[in-house]
Amino acid sequence: MQSVNPTPPLARSPQVTLESVNAFAHKHSTERALLVVAGLFMLVNSLALTITRGGWSTWTNFGVWVICAIVGHMLLNSRLPTRDPMIFPLAMFMSGWGLLLIERLTPLFAARQVVWLLVSTLAMIVISWTPAVIRLMRAYRYTLLFGGLIVLTITIFIGTNPSDPEGTLGAPQLWLGIGSIFIQPSEALKIVLVVFLASYLAEQYPALRAEGIDIEKKRISLSPRIVGPVLLMWGLSIIVLIWQRDLGTAILFFMVFLVLLYIASGYTPLLFSGFVLVILAGIAAYCFFDVVRLRVDIWLNPWQGENPANRAYQIVQSLMAFGAGGVFGQGIGQGAPEFIPVAHSDFAFAALAEEWGLLGVILVIAAHSVFAMRGMRIAIRQRGKPFNTLLAVGLSSVIAIQSLLIMGGVLKIIPLTGVTLPFFSYGGSSLLVSFAIMGLLLRLSAGEN
Amino acid sequence: MPFGREINRLLMGLLIGFICVTGAAAYWAITGANTILLRDDNPRRVIEMATTRRGTIFDRSNQVLVRSFVQDDGSIRRLYLRPAAYGALGYFSFTYGARGVEAAYDSFLTGENLSHTLTEALTNQVLHRPRIGSDIQLTLAMDVQTQVEHAFRGQRGAVIVLSIPSGDVLAIVSAPTFDPNTLDLNWDNLAADPNAPLFDRALQGRYQPGGILQTPLMAAALLTNRAINEPIENATANIHLNGLELSCAVRLPEIDLTFREAYALACPAPFAALSDSLGAETIQAVFDTFRLESTFTIDGFAAPPPLVDDALIPAPNRFSLTDENAYENILGQGELTVSAMNMAMIAAAIVNDGNSPQPNMLRAVRPPNEIEWQPVTVNLPTIPFMTDSTARQIQDLMRETVAIGAAQNAGRPNIDIGGHAALAYSGEGSLSWFIGFATLGGANGAAVAVVLEDSADPGLAADIGGTALDAAGSILRQFDN
Repeated sequence: MQSVNPTPPLARSPQVTLESVNAFAHKHSTERALLVVAGLFMLVNSLALTITRGGWSTWTNFGVWVICAIVGHMLLNSRLPTRDPMIFPLAMFMSGWGLLLIERLTPLFAARQVVWLLVSTLAMIVISWTPAVIRLMRAYRYTLLFGGLIVLTITIFIGTNPSDPEGTLGAPQLWLGIGSIFIQPSEALKIVLVVFLASYLAEQYPALRAEGIDIEKKRISLSPRIVGPVLLMWGLSIIVLIWQRDLGTAILFFMVFLVLLYIASGYTPLLFSGFVLVILAGIAAYCFFDVVRLRVDIWLNPWQGENPANRAYQIVQSLMAFGAGGVFGQGIGQGAPEFIPVAHSDFAFAALAEEWGLLGVILVIAAHSVFAMRGMRIAIRQRGKPFNTLLAVGLSSVIAIQSLLIMGGVLKIIPLTGVTLPFFSYGGSSLLVSFAIMGLLLRLSAGEN
Repeated sequence: MPFGREINRLLMGLLIGFICVTGAAAYWAITGANTILLRDDNPRRVIEMATTRRGTIFDRSNQVLVRSFVQDDGSIRRLYLRPAAYGALGYFSFTYGARGVEAAYDSFLTGENLSHTLTEALTNQVLHRPRIGSDIQLTLAMDVQTQVEHAFRGQRGAVIVLSIPSGDVLAIVSAPTFDPNTLDLNWDNLAADPNAPLFDRALQGRYQPGGILQTPLMAAALLTNRAINEPIENATANIHLNGLELSCAVRLPEIDLTFREAYALACPAPFAALSDSLGAETIQAVFDTFRLESTFTIDGFAAPPPLVDDALIPAPNRFSLTDENAYENILGQGELTVSAMNMAMIAAAIVNDGNSPQPNMLRAVRPPNEIEWQPVTVNLPTIPFMTDSTARQIQDLMRETVAIGAAQNAGRPNIDIGGHAALAYSGEGSLSWFIGFATLGGANGAAVAVVLEDSADPGLAADIGGTALDAAGSILRQFDN
């Protein structure tokens, strides 16, 4: 374990030079320029939506977004001058686009989402402003993990679904309701899990690298240090799957864990054996859980079946949305993404494809790719801080893998897992957690105090 | 830094994942779009249909038959203006799709086949301009259609009138029919109606041929040099077949007639004797030559389902004439069934030196915002049915039939008409048939086939046929001038 070497505050830094001040200014101007571009995108699309659909509610959203962008930028400038200049504009760009999409699909939900944008921005600022947030999370990792698991357990027993409060439709009951506010504990558990794993593996990685693999003999030492956590996480994922029928979160948890274990151990076959476990779990789930069997069957053949119109309606409509969007898209408010059931949530990517076309899709993928690249860049820059490195990798991977799971699902590359598209999909918990992840990455990029 | 290599590999893996997603999105947006958007369960097709302004349909003298108009709520409605043409045009419905002319020329009417420059295509897409289809001009002559429809009123059956030598469909009637303007409202009733008004009798109906088969049989007799002017004993005798009593089209005492007289009066006995004298093989060859088992339709129209499916029915089980079934089939009361289009094309071949033109119905197309019609050239080969000399001999026999035989009702002054009328039995009912032609000078003429369900009056069928040929003659002379 290497010692932590915190960066001293800028004002007191003896290394402050004209070059470094210019570098900070350059970063700020980059962020500002990117925010302006994002704002122009929002402006043009808000205008187009007003023309095609009428009404002024989109401008309220736009106004709130502008406030969040300006205030966020200014407050981050004041406390985190050395932060990554692309993370915040990218997140604002994606969440703004998501807001437009939700406004176009379900205006009622957009009014709630814009409130969540305010809350999420505030949370991001609080997290990124808190100098000891990384240290505190690491120090209280067990408390966080057990707290998270307890909340998850409570959800198993008294969980609800805002779309199906009575449970008559058989929808997964993944939310906890407090009045008219619903939160999804498994979303928050993503961060908690990454913090815990990063902390555990940061302590264990020298041992993992030393005894986990006998490089010369090319064999795996089945040390409990490796096998134990693997089986523990596999078990946790299966429990999530069994009790909550939340296939997406279960896969996400396990894949993020595999990624972190791979980074810590440096042992590539772990990834493959982990994927074998995922496949084995998938086969077992296919045999025992109707919801998994249905999704796999639909994935394998959405075109045929006893009643294909009902059975695979969502995925077929999703693919039609990509076809209808073509290269240039139908234009905001001019497509027919409302034919995709719950397009504002799991199928936001397909709805977006119909109205912004392949070019829009490429832009979204590029935004997520750059977000992942910047996250990994932040991780690599945490020299001598394995916990910080693993934390940055884990947080970036959560966003990237979740994006890939849902994008691949709506495009029929993999079975549909039912996770949201980070920053885009409707959902307060999802947006809040995505912004919290952004806050932590910004904190890490600026140097931990 | 212990994790650098792993992080780079991880990032590479993630980026490969994103590239795969991009590739899949590109596939569905570009290549896969061509197939997935055409699926029946694509609701966007209905939206597109609802906003597409289908072209206007005209008859050959530019009378408007169908047009689209924008309603107050912005939706587009299709309006069928001529009740006499209802059965000829089919329908277009957002709910039930398209049929008939509307289906056959859908790509013209929707503008789907119009070519656009890249700029036009992009502008149309970006501005979401509704698609406007081309107008089409049919070969249909409303004057003929109206007269035939009027003569046909109250009957069930079909009429097809063809122009010779072009094969233009001048009139096509399927009765009973329905009002396509109220199709969506009345669909359930129409579908449940025992008279089956939704069924296209003219193109899809197949009937027992009965005595109307005597014309191809006469062609076979002529080809085999059978003497047609020698008396045949008891030529008017009734034939008893499977509980049916087949008689001449005109009630006659038992007398001797020549073969040509028996043909003129549609008496079955002399033709029944052909099964022995010609043999099943020769008669089968005649049926094959006249393509009686083929399912002809109008160029551009969806073909009716085939009568036999080679993949499903082994060859020995397909219909073929044998010594056992030759007798009943030669009388048109066996397994062999024919359509009105089959018989219209035989009539067309008779007046066109033995070769039948293939029927067509699209005369010209006019793209949106253009004034001039663009003629549609049809280069379909004619179908040979018989030699020209046989055709001319049968013409004479058919003229005789109109002059003194069972088809006298088809005769009209100032026009050369030949025809043949006969009875057929189907179930407990009977059918009346008429096929005929009119010559109009040079190679020009008209051909008609009429079939009346639940009718024992071949004279009525001949009368309707005569009306159709007379009207066709008038309109074709007018166009020639």
